[in-house]
Amino acid sequence: MSDLLPYLIGGLANGALYGLLALGFVLVYRATSVVNFAIGEFLLVGAYLTYTFALFLPLPLAMLAALPMAFLFGLLVERGFVRPLLGRNVVAVIMATIGLAAALDGGVQLLWGPDLKYLQGELPQLGFQLGDTFVPSRAVWNLLLALPLGLGLLWLLRKSRYGVLVRAISEREVAALALGIPTARILAGVWGISALLATLAGALLAVASGVGHNLVFFGLKVFPVAILGGLDSVGGALLAGFLLGVLEALSGRYLEPILPGFTEALPFVVVLLVLMVRPYGLLGERQIERV
Amino acid sequence: MILSVENLKVVYRGVILALDGVSLEVREGEAVALLGPNGAGKSSLVRAVAGLLPKFEGRVLDGHVRLFGQEATHLDPVRITGLGLTAVLEGRPLFRYLTPVENLVAAGHRLSSRELKEGMEEVFARFPRLYERRHEQAGYLSGGEQQMLLLGMALLTRPKVLVVDEPSLGLAPKLVEEVMRTLDALRKEKGLSLLLVEQNARAALAIVDRVYVLERGRVVFEGDAQAAQEDQDVMEFYLGKEEVGFRQAKRYRRRKRWV
Repeated sequence: MSDLLPYLIGGLANGALYGLLALGFVLVYRATSVVNFAIGEFLLVGAYLTYTFALFLPLPLAMLAALPMAFLFGLLVERGFVRPLLGRNVVAVIMATIGLAAALDGGVQLLWGPDLKYLQGELPQLGFQLGDTFVPSRAVWNLLLALPLGLGLLWLLRKSRYGVLVRAISEREVAALALGIPTARILAGVWGISALLATLAGALLAVASGVGHNLVFFGLKVFPVAILGGLDSVGGALLAGFLLGVLEALSGRYLEPILPGFTEALPFVVVLLVLMVRPYGLLGERQIERV
Repeated sequence: MILSVENLKVVYRGVILALDGVSLEVREGEAVALLGPNGAGKSSLVRAVAGLLPKFEGRVLDGHVRLFGQEATHLDPVRITGLGLTAVLEGRPLFRYLTPVENLVAAGHRLSSRELKEGMEEVFARFPRLYERRHEQAGYLSGGEQQMLLLGMALLTRPKVLVVDEPSLGLAPKLVEEVMRTLDALRKEKGLSLLLVEQNARAALAIVDRVYVLERGRVVFEGDAQAAQEDQDVMEFYLGKEEVGFRQAKRYRRRKRWV
């Protein structure tokens, strides 16, 4: 048992980041029906922004400074790539995000160079001893930032007036417009928040593994996580993030010796299995059909 | 003049002409009905005055919409509702996954928290059934309850002129009557102007002062509610007062060309 605990903690730490990123992805999907294939690149850009700020700021401040920049970046993407295509076929917007992903990949390497970089400075040590297991500082930070942020966002979406507007627009944009709700502004804000979440995930990831193109592969995990949670469920994204993080860690411990490389495929296998039983995902919403 | 539409031409996708030079006006405190059969262009007119045409791949080709004397032809919906025109589109445009409370919160997005709370209490006092089901998803409300919720939502946008598109659609006759009565009571109580777009002419005529009849994108009749009731053609073809035989229908078609 004490053998298991470190893996669980590691899994939760990773899962927190999956959850954050999937939250950003699902938020945009729910509000605008756009599948943002560039979410991994949002994470990448966010990590590089943090890296740049960390060159002349202490790391915690750098992470903080990167957030408004990320929000701005999200607004820009919405203005430049999404809004001009609104009202067109949804596929057009999705293709645009794929193009954006490629462009960001290249752009980031042009700006910051292709080699792996490490953040300067570090976050204050928060690691502690739990029984005979050591909880690493990284896990504490991930959970400390991801959980309140994720749950807070969930609460905002459920209860706040702004959240009600986002949900209203996501369900029926024309009806929202007819009530005079400034849909364009609110949707832009959603993109900003999405980029902000991805940036935070990117920064936390970069603390552990440096900043480089490898981060995009982490971004790819967002798809199984989001689908597992239910594409339109923000709470599901958070939950599925933790779930997959832990499963991956357990698989790394118990299955990897028998099935080398299986951990890479695990998220997708889990998604397949869950979708067979619950086609809407874990917490996906059932469609109201009323004739 | 609260709302005036002058010679409005509307096309969809650049080719489909939905309104072909429509003019109408709604004066302060007045209730006006816009009648007409399917495909006459009624909903296009609603979309045009609400600034929602672009969302339906349509645009104003020619003509003007004026709101409170101000040019409003190409204004966006946010500005238009800000000026005081709220349109309730056809097809019960509420948020089905939100509860009635949340629907009202969304509609009252311009209000302060206190105003919103008071407004909501007012709506619930008027529609006790909504209050009972205030935390259920609105998609599961009955048709009549949904229509009441929509009226409540429209009220929370604090309109001066209300445009309602086919509130009677899909409702039992008794409910239609109730909706019309509510609409009438609201209008008088709040001093609103009303443009009521309907296919159910009989129900609409009971609560309006003036009538326009639209057909194939043109106004074919204009007059006060009394005159409409007395006009042979309007009575026959929109109110179904008398049985219309094929021969008479042909006569009508022939006459209509000269209107």
